[in-house]
Amino acid sequence: MNIKEYIESGILEAYVLGALTEGERAAVEADMVMYPELVQEVAAIEAAMQSFAEANAEEPPAHMQQQIWNAIQQQAAPQSVPEPQSAKEEAKPQPKVVEFVPPAAPARPSWQRAAVWAAVAVSVLTNFMLLSQRNKTKEEIAQMTSQMDSLKASQQQVLAEYKKGRDMLVDTSMKTVVMRSMQPGKEMTGMMFWSKTTGESYLTIHAMPMPEKGKQYQLWVIQDGKPVSMGMIDNNLVANAGMMYKIPMQVKGGQAFAISLEKEGGNPTPTEVMAVGAI
Amino acid sequence: MATALTYSEEELVLLLKQQSQDAFNYLYKNYAGVLYGVIRKVVTDEQTAQDVLQDVFVKVWNNIGQYSTEKGRIYTWMINIARNAAIDKLRSKGEIMKSKIQTGEDAVYNVQKGMKTEQATDTIGLKEAVAALKPEHQTIVSLAYFKGFTMDEIARTLEIPLGTVKTRMRAAMQSLREYYNSN
Repeated sequence: MNIKEYIESGILEAYVLGALTEGERAAVEADMVMYPELVQEVAAIEAAMQSFAEANAEEPPAHMQQQIWNAIQQQAAPQSVPEPQSAKEEAKPQPKVVEFVPPAAPARPSWQRAAVWAAVAVSVLTNFMLLSQRNKTKEEIAQMTSQMDSLKASQQQVLAEYKKGRDMLVDTSMKTVVMRSMQPGKEMTGMMFWSKTTGESYLTIHAMPMPEKGKQYQLWVIQDGKPVSMGMIDNNLVANAGMMYKIPMQVKGGQAFAISLEKEGGNPTPTEVMAVGAI
Repeated sequence: MATALTYSEEELVLLLKQQSQDAFNYLYKNYAGVLYGVIRKVVTDEQTAQDVLQDVFVKVWNNIGQYSTEKGRIYTWMINIARNAAIDKLRSKGEIMKSKIQTGEDAVYNVQKGMKTEQATDTIGLKEAVAALKPEHQTIVSLAYFKGFTMDEIARTLEIPLGTVKTRMRAAMQSLREYYNSN
């Protein structure tokens, strides 16, 4: 990822200004985990918004201070003070212990003791479960992070692939040859990108049916009226229409490209021509 | 008039976790103005703004246990609570559509006015930083930060491309940063 471009795109400003959707927000936060430069930039933007807020401060009416304190007191009474998570978890099973100690006391001490022990056991067990649950969550987070990493890697790969394709299309010496169907009623096309200067060529297949078992498509270049094989076309390429495939063979000249249907492994001369495109 | 004591962010968090009235008074004295200022930019009605301010303090008070300094500055945290609470109020009152249309018109109006005179932008109520922000930048900051618009909504309201929204946000914040760094 290009951090500089990312920062200059304005997405971090949009993040601080609260103008992102949930998904975009989450994505930015995930990126921040990985790139400390982003955290720094966000902090700087936030600091500016803070100064901005300070500059626009406005005193509320004087009675508000007491009114708000009263409101806090009122709502705090039944709920009590919020405590950190872990303390809350421990607190849960405890009321059981209290309930089992009424003033009737000395009559059945062993029974009481058993109850206390039971309550303690429940408490310990609960904590244990919570702890293991927490560990599980941690594992899940780690797993997701690594998943994200691999996603990023594959995204980079796709980008590189795309860039390669773009560079190729921009190359002015690159010729585009569309091969059209020779079979009436069947929409079959293939496209060749061929650079006369380097002899490099790339092939994409569009809407060609998958050859039946034991058969395969073969690519040809017609040179001085004679077909010269450029190799067999992988069925993978047929299945993934639009995928670009670099032809291993160098082609220095020719009048046309063609695709024919042949037995697996190919033939020295084409038997059933499917699509042809003149150069 | 000024309080003799000032606390660092960490000290303030510790103080708040004690939940004493002194802690509240300190919090109120130092932050009520800023928070109220933010809220008032979102909901213009004074009574509503006061209700929101109360909700915000209660929220900060109740959630301080969950706050940790790792999550960023407590100041930013509180400002965001205020901003979100105010925007929620705006939406729950069903005022958002009305306000959207209005701010949209205001915005255009301000942009036009801003071309004539630099002072015109004061109508959005950004007293300071007027020198720092161009009118079209103010509009975008105001729509996003104070009205809760997404980039997409801003683009549609102002009828400008999404890319322009982003570059203007960047430019706006750059000039704000420069402005506050040099002042």
